Amino acid sequence: MIEARGLSKRYGELVAVDGVSFAIAPGEVVGFLGPNGAGKTTTMRILTGFLPATDGTAAIAGHDIFEDPIAARRAVGYLPETPPLYPEMSVEGYLDYVARIKDVPRRERAAAVDRALARCGLADVRRRVIAALSKGYRQRVGLAQAIVHDPPVLILDEPTVGLDPIQIREIRSLIAELASERKGDRARTVILSTHILPEVEAICRRVLIIHRGRIVVDRPLEELKRGGASLEEIFTRATSREPGAEQAEAAPAKPAGSSGAKPAGSSDPEKRP
Amino acid sequence: MRHVFAIAGRELKALFASPVAYAVLTLFTVLAGFFFLTGVLQFQEYIMRMQSFQLSEQLAELNLNDHVIAPFLHVMSVVLLFLIPGVTMGLFAAEKANGTQELLLTSPITIWELVIGKFLAVAAFVALLVLLLALYPGLLFWYGNPELGKTLTGLGGLLLVGLAYAAIGAFASSVTASQLIAFFFAFVLLLVLWMLGFLADLGAAGGGAAGSDVVGDVLRYLSSAEHFESIVMGLVDTKDLAYFAAIVAGFLILAKACVESVRWR
Repeated sequence: MIEARGLSKRYGELVAVDGVSFAIAPGEVVGFLGPNGAGKTTTMRILTGFLPATDGTAAIAGHDIFEDPIAARRAVGYLPETPPLYPEMSVEGYLDYVARIKDVPRRERAAAVDRALARCGLADVRRRVIAALSKGYRQRVGLAQAIVHDPPVLILDEPTVGLDPIQIREIRSLIAELASERKGDRARTVILSTHILPEVEAICRRVLIIHRGRIVVDRPLEELKRGGASLEEIFTRATSREPGAEQAEAAPAKPAGSSGAKPAGSSDPEKRP
Repeated sequence: MRHVFAIAGRELKALFASPVAYAVLTLFTVLAGFFFLTGVLQFQEYIMRMQSFQLSEQLAELNLNDHVIAPFLHVMSVVLLFLIPGVTMGLFAAEKANGTQELLLTSPITIWELVIGKFLAVAAFVALLVLLLALYPGLLFWYGNPELGKTLTGLGGLLLVGLAYAAIGAFASSVTASQLIAFFFAFVLLLVLWMLGFLADLGAAGGGAAGSDVVGDVLRYLSSAEHFESIVMGLVDTKDLAYFAAIVAGFLILAKACVESVRWR
């Protein structure tokens, strides 16, 4: 469903993304992890067509993002780190606008907006102005915006950042629901970036860890945990050594000292774009 | 094409959801009323003076078009110089500040659709301003008999000036994420464009050589005021129409390039 082949992005001397390749099958829910500045947002921006890659290419739902960008973008629902909202618009007015620019046919638009509102628990605030909504609700509007055209692929960049614990739980379960929702005959494909490790364990089935622009871990969560180490340990180990030693995870992990679901206290939830 | 209207519609709604549209409309109509009134009073005084001096020849030459409507439209074109940057400052700058640029550039729309949609929204607003303005010379048809054709041509000229300003404002908004900077940048660009004619006149008054005469002609050709002047005088020349079309097209191309430039970095 998503296939990246040797994606690279250089800003002058700085290499933000360095030859990233992966393939994600339809229905997979993938956690995209990495320290701040590792290249998560850049990779997502390339996949969504916001930025071009310096090298390499990718295909979304079979459409090459450079050769057939319009079709590729149509297949993606994207929630950037800051939800792209117009504060002066009403929730339903905003979703209707997004549906229009995402090519939802006119006849289906009202139904598509209703479905997105219901799915994200926004029916009660549909006529409210976005500026008047709480942060948690704005995040929901951001998610509603990403699914209003019912895309087969969802790309979510730190969807729970800056929310309180209750809101985080709500958004997480919402994402899990959206991920399990079936689009036609198959489930949605989701990539979710975060540096909150329990989030990955709660939602994702596969983990991609990016470090200094390179993929250093790409495994199913089950397999990773079978080693006995917590995700936090795996994450710390993968991101504290030089990239290039990606195969080392296969080696048996050291005895786990902590429980599997310990949150990464060092992660900074207020990362700025 | 449907994207263009979706974008234009949202932009217009946003304009009227903010105080900017109302501030501009109020300021524009109040200033128009002031300048119209002073224009008419001056005209009246002029007539009375000529009558008292028995200057029947000059009196016969006085007419509402050349002595009231044309100066009025001229001064309003200067008012637009200040007001249109206020309307256009948010076009692209606000999208960058809001983060909504990321939504637009990851949607299945082209950058041309985006730029043209935004321009259409401002064009509609400029048309509204010109329509409101038409009420003032319209009053003269009640009390006098100005030429309809010449009046309409003048208003059309003002619309063209407004559209050219809108395209320049759109470009200014596309280079920055700050609405304040967009406003001042647009204002400076418009002011320079408007003043080029004066620069040329200054050069001519200084008694420049033959070479500087060419420069003067070029400056005069580039000045928006010069082209507006001849349209207001009732002379619709393709040269002037081509000038405004070139300004609109040129600055929209620049705006498109600037919006796209996030992708080049």
